[in-house]
Formats: sequence, C-alpha cells, structure tokens
Amino acid sequence: MHIAVILKQVPDLVEEVEVDASGAGIDRDSVKWKLNEFDDHALEQAVLIKESTGGEVTALALDGDGVDQLLYAALARGADRALKVPTSDERTDAPRIAAALAPVLREMAPDLVLTGVQAADDLHGQLGPILATSLDWPHVSVVSGVEVSGAAVQVQQEYSGGRMATLEVQLPAVLGVQAATRPPRYVPISRLRQIMASAQIGEAAAAGEAAALGSTVTRLAPPAQGAGAQMWEGKPEEIAQQLLDVLRERGLLGA
Amino acid sequence: MAPTGIALLALMVATFAWSGYRFSRLLRPLTKGAAENRFDQPLRRAWGVVTNVGGHTRLLQIRYSGILHLMIFSGFVVLLTAVVQEFGKGLVPGFSLALIGGNNWIALLQDIFDVLVLVGLAMAAYNRYVRRPARFQGSNERDATIILALIFLVVASMLLHNSFRVAEGHDPSAAWRPVSSALAGLVGLVGVHGAKAAPYSHVFYWTHVLAILAFLAYIPTSKHLHVFVGIPNIYFRDLAPRGTLPAADLSQPSVGLKQIYQMGWKQMLDLYACTECGRCQAVCPAFAAGQPLSPKLLIMDLRDHLLEQEGIGSHRKGVGGVQLLGDAIKDDTLWACTTCRACMQVCPLHIEHVPKIVDMRRQLVEQGRMEPRLQDTLASLAQYGNSFNQSERMRSKWTKELGFTIKDARKEPVDVLWFVGDFASYDPRVQRLTQTVARVMNRAGVDFGILYEGERNSGNDVRRVGEEGLFEMLAQHNIETLAKCDFRRIMTTDPHSLNAIGQEYPRLGGNYPVLHYTQLLLELLEKGALKPTRGQEMVATYHDPCYLGRYNNGFEAPRRIMELLGVRVHEMPRCRENSFCCGAGGGRIWMDDRGVKERPSENRIREAVSLGDAGYFVVACPKDVVMYTAAVQSTGMEGRIQVMDVIELVEAALEPEVAAVAVA
Repeated sequence: MHIAVILKQVPDLVEEVEVDASGAGIDRDSVKWKLNEFDDHALEQAVLIKESTGGEVTALALDGDGVDQLLYAALARGADRALKVPTSDERTDAPRIAAALAPVLREMAPDLVLTGVQAADDLHGQLGPILATSLDWPHVSVVSGVEVSGAAVQVQQEYSGGRMATLEVQLPAVLGVQAATRPPRYVPISRLRQIMASAQIGEAAAAGEAAALGSTVTRLAPPAQGAGAQMWEGKPEEIAQQLLDVLRERGLLGA
Repeated sequence: MAPTGIALLALMVATFAWSGYRFSRLLRPLTKGAAENRFDQPLRRAWGVVTNVGGHTRLLQIRYSGILHLMIFSGFVVLLTAVVQEFGKGLVPGFSLALIGGNNWIALLQDIFDVLVLVGLAMAAYNRYVRRPARFQGSNERDATIILALIFLVVASMLLHNSFRVAEGHDPSAAWRPVSSALAGLVGLVGVHGAKAAPYSHVFYWTHVLAILAFLAYIPTSKHLHVFVGIPNIYFRDLAPRGTLPAADLSQPSVGLKQIYQMGWKQMLDLYACTECGRCQAVCPAFAAGQPLSPKLLIMDLRDHLLEQEGIGSHRKGVGGVQLLGDAIKDDTLWACTTCRACMQVCPLHIEHVPKIVDMRRQLVEQGRMEPRLQDTLASLAQYGNSFNQSERMRSKWTKELGFTIKDARKEPVDVLWFVGDFASYDPRVQRLTQTVARVMNRAGVDFGILYEGERNSGNDVRRVGEEGLFEMLAQHNIETLAKCDFRRIMTTDPHSLNAIGQEYPRLGGNYPVLHYTQLLLELLEKGALKPTRGQEMVATYHDPCYLGRYNNGFEAPRRIMELLGVRVHEMPRCRENSFCCGAGGGRIWMDDRGVKERPSENRIREAVSLGDAGYFVVACPKDVVMYTAAVQSTGMEGRIQVMDVIELVEAALEPEVAAVAVA
C-alpha cells in the first residue's frame, strides 16, 4: 500500500501574529512556522498503517521556507520518501494547494491520501474534499483511526454528540484525519540529524493546474476587544452572593 | 601422603574446579561488554580501596552495620592465616606457621578474632531477624541466612577444633589461645581431655574444612560474591567528575542500552558486586514516594537478567525471550529516577546506578516510550529552547518591570554573564526572585548581563531524560552564543544549569569559569559590596539542592551567607552529601506524579517542621522554590514554615533602597 501524506506549515501561535502592510494577510517575516497539528496526526496514522500492514509512505508539501525541515522531520518519523511541490503562488489556501497537488498525486497514483482534517488557515477543512473532487476519488473527513481491509479501508468518523460511525471506503481515497489511532510519536533529535545528513528530498515537476474558484481575503484584523471582564472583590460570601444574583438575573437559575 | 590428605586434596581440587568453572561463567559476559577505560590514576584508585575497604568509610555511615561488618571482615582477613594453616597441615603433615608466629601471636589473633566474628555474626543476625531495617525489604533473605550460617560454621568449628586440640594436651600454641584454653577447660570438666578429645578435634577439623569448601562453591551465585568482586569494583570506580554522564555515540543508528550486553564491563561488574544491603533504597526519593523504583532492586533485576541470559545457576537460559526494557526492567521504574545521586553516594561498593538508568532511558526515548507530558516538553525544548512552550522573546519579559536595563551580554562586554535558566525566566512563581537577584547585583555594582532571547535551556535535565541529541543541540546553541560574548565568568541561578555548563559543556568544547549565584553573593558580602545592616535573627533550615551540593560541592556558600546575615541554621538530619531530593530532578519536573504516595518534597517539609524551631525553609534553586512552596501548601504547614530563597534573605538584610524610602 502506498500512502501519500500532505503536510502543511501553519503560523505558530506562541508568537503574536501581525497583519502585514497590505491589510489582507499576516506578516510572514515575524511569524514562526510549525507543522499543522492535524497533519501531524495524518502522518502518524500513515506510519502506523505502514507498520501494521506494510507499504510505503510519501510525505508531500508545497515548497516554501522551512519546508525542508518539515519533510526531514517526516522522514525521521517513518516516511519513506519526501517530495516538495513547487508553487508560484504565495497564497496557500485549500483550493490552491489542491490545484498544485492534484496533478502530482494523479501521476503518483497512491492507494490512499491522508491529510489533516483542517488547519488554522483552513478551518472549514476544504483541502480534502477539493482534492478528492479533482481526483474523482471518494473522501471522508473527521477521521480518527484507519484500518486496512483488502482493497478498502475502514475508518472511524466522529459526529457531534459523541457518536461514531465506521465507514468502509474503496481505494484510492482521500481522508481528512482528525486524530491518529495513537498520539504522534517523538522523534529524537539524533535521528533527525542523521536523516538530515543522509536523506534526500525529492522535487516534483511543476504541473500547474487552474485553481478552483476560492475565496479572496480582502481584510484581516485582530478581533475587536470586548468590554472586558468584570472583576469582583470582597469576601467569599459576598462574591458568592454576587454570582448568584447575576445567574438569577440572567434566568440561568430557577426562581 | 596420608589417606585423609588425599581425600582433602581431592575435595579441594573438585571444589576449585567447580567454583573456578562458575567464576569463569560469570566473567565471560564481561569480556563481551563494551569498553570502559578504568585503568587510569592507579594511585587514586588504590587509595580509594584503602579508605573504603580498610577504613570502611561508607559502611560506617550506618554505625551498627558498619561495626558488625568491620568485625566480620577483619576476622576474615586474620582467619585467612588459619585457613592456610588448616589446609596446609591437612595436605602436608607437620605443616605449620610456627616459624612466623603461628604458635604465638598469630594464634592469639586467631582466638580473638574468632570471638569477634561470632559477636559480629550475632549482631548481624539480630539486625536481620529482629531489627529488620526496611532497607532489606526485597533482598534475598534465604541467601543471607545461608551465608551467615556458613560463616558461623567456619568460625565456630575452627574455634572448637582449636579448643579440643588444646584439650588433647599437646598443642604448642595453647598458651597463646586464651579462648580455646578456656573452652578446653570447660570440656575438661565433663571429662573430655587427652586422647578422649582427639575424635572431637577431628570432627571439627573436617567440619571447618568442609564449611570453607562449601562457602567457596556457593559464593559465585550469592550476594556474597562481593568478597571477591568488591575490591576490584571499588578500584575500577568512576573517577570522572560527578556531574558528567558517560557519552552516547550519536553516529550509531541506535542510542542507549537496548540489551544487557551493550553494557560496559564495569557496569556488569557492578551487578555482581551488589550485596543487596539496601542503603541505596533507604535514601532513594522515588522509593520513599512509593514509586516503582528501588536502586537495589534495579541492580538485582539487571543481575538476574544477565545471569538468565547466560544461563548461570538457577537462572535458565533465555526464558521466553525476555527483553531488557519492558520485561526485566519496567519503563516506569526508569522514569521514576530523579538522578539525585543519593544512591551512588551511599553505596559501599561504588555501584553506578544513575548512568545505567540514563543509558536505558536513552533507548526508551529512541523508541518514543515516554509519557505524553514529557514528550510535549521535549518537543517544546526542541522547538523553542525552553520547557514552557513559550517563545524565545518571552524569556526576558521579567526584566521589563525592573526599572533599570540589564546589559545584553551579546552586545557589550560584561564581567558576569548571568545564565538565568528556564524556571527563573519563565515561571511566574520564580520571576520575582529572579528580579530580586537582578536588583541585588545592581546595588552591589556588579557589571553583569544576560543573553536575552539568545539563551536556551542548558540541557542538563534533557540529558538525564535520555534525549542526548536534543541536549547536544541546546548545548551547542548556548556554546555558539557564548563564543560571541565577552565576559569573565558565568553565573547561574539554577544548579542544573551550573552542572551542565560546568561539567557537561567542556566535552562539547565550552570551557568557562562558572559559579552559582550563592557563590557570587558570598563574594559580594565578603568584599563589602553588599552591606547587610539589618540582621536576620531567625532560625532556619537549609535544603541542599542535589545539583549544587552532591554534584558540585556547593555546600558552604549558602551556609556562610546565612551565617553572615545572622541566621541560625538548624540542619535537618539529611543534609549536605545526604540531602534528600525534592523530586524534580532528572526531568521528573516534566512528568506527572501519578502513583506517588508521598511526594519527596512533602516528606522533606515534614522533616524540616519536625526540627521544631525552624520557621524558614531556605532554598537556593528555582525549582526548589516551586516544589517546596507547593509542598508546604499540600501538607498544610503554611503557618509553621515558610519557603525562602537565599536571595530574599540577602535583600531583606540590606538597607531599604532610597527610592523605596522616599515613597514610604
């Protein structure tokens, strides 16, 4: 089984994210990047499948700053090959990523494509569905746990209210992973360094495909500050009384 | 040769052959072990044998046991002469040590030491079966009983043999054997003397000889192997600086101890040397907390695993493909260690517990076998260079409220480069103390600076967790940053940073004079740069941090400071070299304490409160501030003892600053 995992960097929120001069994007120079948490789970799920049923894992990412580091880490985690896909567009929303990756995946013809169910800049989780549509493959989102059975995979899909469904998906397919069967593993730095010294990152030929119509950001701004919290002071009994009053006032307690 | 002589010779040959074969089986894995150079500094090594074996230095730390061991041990040495004498005369009729005093002073010594050993044995039996110290819990009592019985048999039979010989009436050494003579007198009272005593003499002679041979045959798979292995084990002890862990070869595809044969030969010798005395267990903070680690059981389990692999003694070979990690030694056992080094400090045989634990942890890290919190912390350290999951830029946030600017040591030369450390920089509970250190140094006119966002975690505990590659990455970053700075010496707040920079960085090419902030404070007080005008008349106790005290010998500075400030220090029973770990070291502060019955820090606070008069618990480590403040609350001791950092004492002793007075 050949599994392709799509990885993407997102801004690391330990640093304050700032709006750039255009007013429609974030200031990319002041931002630290890290692997999208859900992609991390997708990668882990791919490696777990490989470990339990054999096969190979190819990690893919759009080219850009820090992508080598990202792909080396994927190799250290257990991916067999790493491939960066050139892009001329700085904007990396889901339709554009899908447009850049679809021809590469069509040629690669993996059995399974895994990606994170969503990302900080793709909260709607569009990458999986758009990519599956371009490839004309089945797609399932919000997947936690994937098991191979013959020419299909069984996946767990989570619904609200704590319900889970087990679905069988014919291969090839695209899955949006929410959580791997096990939390992503730790990669010792020594292994990462060995990989960086020895492994190669491949580069896909630029294929370019017109992006499906996406949305365009016209303005980006930090959320407006609310009125703020009201701080209560005094003895515990007084505070408790105040709390009770507020709850009653808002009809949150019975008469 | 007489028929009895032939019989004795045959028995001796058989025993030596059997015992020799068993010893060679034991030694074989050592030849397969990894190389370790323990052949340097022969004089220092030999001197250690003299003090540890001859002087019983560590054994006497538990007085009762030390004394009884000394009695039995010295008896063994003296009675070796008797063994030579008895076997000699058995083989060669007429053999005697008479020429060198066998009939006078040697005879006298033998008689005296017979009694001393018997008294020692009685004390040992009383200790083991009546007093039953907790440290024996988990040791092999049957083995101990067999050994005690065999020694008793050897010595008692010898004394009785000598007594009946005296009773026979023609022992030339009779006049020099007061105890034997007295016993001979006793048996004489019931009519056993002259020729009548001869059969008894024979019986006890053979009892003695057979007991010795049995002892020799039994010893290779007994904890009493230390009779042979103890001296070499002490001689080949680790002489490297205490805070330097053995290196791991990161160019290898796999790092750390995955199977027992990857151990160094000395690490294996350690396993044979263990006497199961449990002194390590008695001082281990993890064991006291009810965690699944006893340094003693760890060594015993490793030994049993090795013997099992070798198929020696009752250990059957390769039982069901038992793995070193997970089967013989549980992951939780390894993760429980705080690397406080208390076990190694008390071990009379100088067994090296901590390096073994760290080497096995390295393999667990490689396999990703660790708890989620630790994994997240390591990821944070790899990503941001600190354990707090915060950005590098936040590292110097605490300086903003100071009212003065601290020099950026990367941009201008300083006398003292202050390596602040993660907890002192990021932990909101400690930041106010970090600010106090800055204010006091500023008042004393110290020319100092910090690295701002250029600093990374020192890596001390990362190394002890077993993440060797991450340690090197952090250390190399710091060394590269320091190489661009102009400074005379480094000061650290954290004893763990002190250890890493002082003892671990030299191997990576970073050599700097480094001192702890208590050492700089003492210097400032002694030269008058700080003038304590307000005496701190209080009774306090002081907690030695493991990495300041045991690892870096920093016992005196904090105590001298308190003395200069007028603080009366009431020491806890476990102080200085025997200090009890707070439980945070070796990466434990990044793991949860599930399964802990009593936290080491709570145990420690109770110890301090039980002193009765100590109202303050003085510490000199940012992690201690965190650990003990929490422990005072969780033990409900708030009204009785207060945690205070040395720096708080110093600032309180200075005249209030002019600005502060003006405001008041």
